[in-house]
Amino acid sequence: MSTTVLERLERLPHRNLTVLALRGISTLVPGGWTNITSAEAMIHEVLGSADPELTRQVRDRADELSRARHEGYARALSLYDAVNRSQKAAGGLRVLANVAGALPLVKRLTLFTPANETLQAADLSLKVAAEMLAFTQVNGLPGDSFGDFGASLTEYTSEARVRMAALVCFDAFLPLGDQALQRLDGLLGRVASHELRQLPAYVGMAPLIPGRGDQAHLSFLRRSVDQWVGWADGFASQLGLTGQRTVRALETTIGPWHGGFEQLAIFLDAFTDTYAHTGVQAVARRLVERAAAEI
Amino acid sequence: MSRRLSWGLGLLLIAGLVLGGLFVLPFRSWLPGGTVADVPNRLVVNGTALNRLFPAPEAGEKLVFTQEKRGFSQARLKQGDAVRALLSISDVTTSPASRAKFSSSGSALAGWPLVEQGDQSSALLVADRFQVKVIGQGAGLSLDERHELLGAFNLQALAALNPASAQKALPQKAQAPSLPTPSQGARASLAAPSPAAPASAKRLAALKAARAAAHRETAVLTPAA
Repeated sequence: MSTTVLERLERLPHRNLTVLALRGISTLVPGGWTNITSAEAMIHEVLGSADPELTRQVRDRADELSRARHEGYARALSLYDAVNRSQKAAGGLRVLANVAGALPLVKRLTLFTPANETLQAADLSLKVAAEMLAFTQVNGLPGDSFGDFGASLTEYTSEARVRMAALVCFDAFLPLGDQALQRLDGLLGRVASHELRQLPAYVGMAPLIPGRGDQAHLSFLRRSVDQWVGWADGFASQLGLTGQRTVRALETTIGPWHGGFEQLAIFLDAFTDTYAHTGVQAVARRLVERAAAEI
Repeated sequence: MSRRLSWGLGLLLIAGLVLGGLFVLPFRSWLPGGTVADVPNRLVVNGTALNRLFPAPEAGEKLVFTQEKRGFSQARLKQGDAVRALLSISDVTTSPASRAKFSSSGSALAGWPLVEQGDQSSALLVADRFQVKVIGQGAGLSLDERHELLGAFNLQALAALNPASAQKALPQKAQAPSLPTPSQGARASLAAPSPAAPASAKRLAALKAARAAAHRETAVLTPAA
């Protein structure tokens, strides 16, 4: 809790695989994406002025706000972190399984890895739910206002649009195919509560999800995904997002890819943290907007 | 004290400490309550009460609320897809420093002190308690456009949210809508007698109605209420 949101922003990488992947996907989104990793630059952009005294005041206020525990900015970040950790762990396991699958002695290891589509769908639904919970933490609306969430999705601007495009492409189209959004509800219907508990992110997020017990949480996940799919479907068809186009967009920045879609999804899961990266930037912007209004 | 009792007390103490350490400390940051400067919740106006006081968008414009917290509410004024301005109302109870800048304010709008911060932001302190701010975004807004937006907020109802200063604000309202002369601050006009008694009585009634409406929507606004 000691690191403030703006410090997290300044520690984001300028150029690595995550940034390249995001830059690739942003070519599909009009308006694009700039990788802001400087608190000063963000404050100047929001304030429309580069006055050093004002910048200092905004920064102090922003740090005070992000240290205040109930204001929710730091809490939103820990949600993103939980999801990110789980994604990396699962991705790492699958990479290991892919390698191990080729070696005779350790082949059995592949049996223990959660690679099936149901779990992939559950993973996506957790990310959507984390997005929604983080939204309520940052914006301060009641904890299960699905309607508010749906309405605000249409108001997502540049950074958030790229982040949603990354979510749709990397976590839905690549691992689950182009019909992912239509199949999602059916896949989630098959998720059993013991399978949900296999996901590390769920264990971390469970206390924050409204409702008691895995079944209640599962129905919360399905409801929030329901809200999101309606919007994501329109978003994807408007931008013409597909698995094929995702791969081509990524190839412009990362380099040629010869494997399958699923392998690419696993690779991205294991070696990038696009979700947390854009999450920090989005939360930092909201925080700066508030601090600028309060000084 | 018997040996058994002291053992029992000791064990109880240890169990309490362990449970407290396990359950309370790691989740401290997750517990609800409090405000930024640890001002008690009931002293700070809730954002819900502020939402209603934002200006109504003109044709072709859209007002999108982005944040609503205790003592703070913010919206974006959008024209098409472009964000034109950030509009916000904040309760300065949680940030005393932001109130201080108004003490050197030389200008006023609708009787309240006005301050410019940088090239794109104008702030107004209403009832010595609520900071109303307009920050131009993207292509930016001119000074007059920002002042016009500030004036479009429901400042009268906002002042009524702070009962202590609502009565003070009344004479200014009755006297003149705007006092641009630097020597006349918000308080300078307090001593001036109100020129039209019936008009001010009507205003008082309107103010009371606004206050009653505000009270219905938020449980607790101020300790005095």
